[in-house]
Amino acid sequence: MRRLRRFLKSFFLVDILRGLAVTLRLYFSRKVTVEYPEKVQEPAPRFRGLPRLYRDEKGEPLCIACKLCQRACGTNCFDIEGKRKEGAKFMRPEKFDWKLDRCTFCGFCVEVCPTSAIRFSPEFRLTGVRKDGLLFHRDQMYLLGDDLQDHLCGGCRRVP
Amino acid sequence: MAFREIDLNMGPQHPSTHGVLRLKLAVDNEVVLRVEPVLGYLHRGMEKLWESLTYTQIVPLTDRLDYLASLSNNLAYCLAVEKLAGIEVPRRARYIRVVLAELQRLASHLAWTGFMANDIGAMSVLLYGFEAREDILDIFEEYCGARLTVHGIRIGGAVHDLDGPLVSRIRAVLERIPKRLADIRSLLDENRIWKERTVGIGRITAGEAIDYGLTGPPLRACGVAWDMRKDIPYSSYDDFDFDVPLGTNGDVYDRYLVRLEEICQSIRIVGQALDGLPEGEFKAKVPRVLKIAPGEAFHTIEAPKGVLGFTVRSNGTDKPERVKMKSPSFINLQSLEHLCQGNLFSDVIGILGSLDIVLGEIDK
Amino acid sequence: MTPFVADVLIPLGKIAAVILYPMVMVVVMIWLERRVVALMQGRLGPNRVGFQGVLQPVADAVKLFFKEDIIPRQADKLLFNISPVLVMFSSLLAFCFVPLGEPVRIGTTTLTLWIADSPVGLLIVLGLSSISVFGVIFGGWASNSKYPLMGALRSVIQVLSYEIPTGLAVLTVVFLARSMDLVEIVRRQEASGVWYGFLMPVSFVVFWISAVAETNRAPFDLPEAESELVAGYHTEYSGMKFAYFYMAEYAHMVLVSSLVVILFFGGWLPPFQGVKALAFLHAVPGFIWYLVKIMFFLYLYVWIRATLPRYRFDSLIRLVWKWLIPLALANFLVVALVRFLR
Repeated sequence: MRRLRRFLKSFFLVDILRGLAVTLRLYFSRKVTVEYPEKVQEPAPRFRGLPRLYRDEKGEPLCIACKLCQRACGTNCFDIEGKRKEGAKFMRPEKFDWKLDRCTFCGFCVEVCPTSAIRFSPEFRLTGVRKDGLLFHRDQMYLLGDDLQDHLCGGCRRVP
Repeated sequence: MAFREIDLNMGPQHPSTHGVLRLKLAVDNEVVLRVEPVLGYLHRGMEKLWESLTYTQIVPLTDRLDYLASLSNNLAYCLAVEKLAGIEVPRRARYIRVVLAELQRLASHLAWTGFMANDIGAMSVLLYGFEAREDILDIFEEYCGARLTVHGIRIGGAVHDLDGPLVSRIRAVLERIPKRLADIRSLLDENRIWKERTVGIGRITAGEAIDYGLTGPPLRACGVAWDMRKDIPYSSYDDFDFDVPLGTNGDVYDRYLVRLEEICQSIRIVGQALDGLPEGEFKAKVPRVLKIAPGEAFHTIEAPKGVLGFTVRSNGTDKPERVKMKSPSFINLQSLEHLCQGNLFSDVIGILGSLDIVLGEIDK
Repeated sequence: MTPFVADVLIPLGKIAAVILYPMVMVVVMIWLERRVVALMQGRLGPNRVGFQGVLQPVADAVKLFFKEDIIPRQADKLLFNISPVLVMFSSLLAFCFVPLGEPVRIGTTTLTLWIADSPVGLLIVLGLSSISVFGVIFGGWASNSKYPLMGALRSVIQVLSYEIPTGLAVLTVVFLARSMDLVEIVRRQEASGVWYGFLMPVSFVVFWISAVAETNRAPFDLPEAESELVAGYHTEYSGMKFAYFYMAEYAHMVLVSSLVVILFFGGWLPPFQGVKALAFLHAVPGFIWYLVKIMFFLYLYVWIRATLPRYRFDSLIRLVWKWLIPLALANFLVVALVRFLR
């Protein structure tokens, strides 16, 4: 009896019809993809995008050129030189080079920074068309995401 | 038309060698006579590179080994270093690690199901598996800001605490996954073509599997109950109640069933860990510059691919003298020739897929 | 009507139509396949070029047109160049014998919706669609590469084996209709009031399964099994030659769908002929019904592809010799017996 049932099931292609039913049901289901350049899925708050330097409310740079990030970095992304101006309280970076092509986005630089000067921006578009576009100097590190994007690649700008 | 034995190069650029693996096949018509895997196309010199980095700086690089299960690599390495340095990990941190590692197992197995089905030709399952995996990657992004190379476990604990919103989000995802799984199962489990392609293909007996050093789901599909989480528990796994799914035939179909059942068990473990999440610190106090007295430690975990082990030898500085990795994919791949012998050329793809290899881990 | 129009313009127009109609269907089919598979997988598929991405296949063709045409150094140049043409030619030629509907009366003249009216049209169509396998063999052989060779070998065995159940299933239709003329077969179905697909479901299923196998489509797409043989017999082809293989495959699918509709589902006849209440269905032109039915079978092709895994070589052959051929034979005997007794 069970063998007969199995034979009938197999003869009438029950397994295949069940599969076809699943795909047909999903044909009408909600689609999960996002149409990228028009719609952008916003990254999570903790997203590790392009790191950038921040200033405080008064516009003063937060970075004190302590080079902790340089030491924490496992892939030698940073090249920092600091200098204390006459009468200034803290050192400030004279040179702050950061190399995108070396970065692994591990987050050590952000974790060790004592003044929270370097933090991750939500910028996830990292394409560059030239190699020197992947080297960021101090002034570029203070720029916001979209301005940084000018530096990288003009082709894939977000549609407003 | 019969042609005698020809050599066929599969890879390093081939749709289903899962990366840059090259297989030198000797085939007689469609029957496979010999298989020789050629490795090294993705060799990055990881183990040597680690010798020039501090203990903490190594952790993000372990993400790049088995890139489908980066948290498992993190965990295995961190446990080895903690064992060597004698760091006591707080109980909450251990639970968080279990949650993360099991979510990673879910993601890895779901991706595997998709790849495997796609190799055999069921292209829709790839997308269904990936859709479910995407939910888990979103959790990782929420938790620590990265999706693939997560770097979510640090020496001494985890990188962030698990807060309320995230916990409820994980629970919501865990409820969605079984539905997706049911779709996949009704597409594949009973399907005659799927069964013809998998049942009895790539069989290996329990004794041979042990001789070849198989671990993980391919070993358990032979009926050998060997799971590090149960047998040598680490990171508080003994607090949780779960089963080790076993197969009987040791063929591709059993490996598929074992993995799908492991997904259900992982969902159970994550649920228990979230329910019993103890209060306390999520990270032990670890000196910023970690210097470890000379010694050596070996620690293994049950990674999604099999038993993953790290040997760390210290020499008193902040950098290890040597780190050696025992990668499950590499060892499981050894058995490929044995599994493929006498099967048809089409089955090589299914068998290779069923071993669940990741080239980042094989070539290091 | 002047003889010029009747003897030159109308035939020329028909020839243009016979080339254009399959091409348009191919474009629609490629778009349909990509969209439907995508929608079944929870994604959207191509939706940028033209309305909902309809022009995506055209864009792809333009891209392929400008691609470099690579001929492997060791290849047999003549066969390598001839095989895509052969494949394309045989599928297009078959469309000459496929009627699109009953003759249309415009004024005083009647316009037949087919180019060649042959009493053995069915045989010619089946023969022409089998010729395309030579293109596949030549292409696989001439590439002088191992993957195409294996793909070609698989293709030969597969097509040869599946010809038999196809033939047996078609024979039952010929038995009932007592004709090999495709137009006549449809007329017989109109006269009998029941479409042969409902009269002989087994013949239909056998024919459909072997048709899917003969067009090298999933789950029988072994000759071009992507995950095993990279791209099968056309691995070494690029540019327009690749496009020829690609389009010929789809043209072949359209051809087979047309055949299924004509043989088993009443061609251009509207459904529910006998039911008086649904007589308004006759108002829709027959050609539309024909297209709708063809589209359904093209959809079925895609639907099956999105669902099923791929057969292995030996089980494919086992399926045809151990199941389909005995089934088709038994079916054939039953139909013959019934036909004899009545």
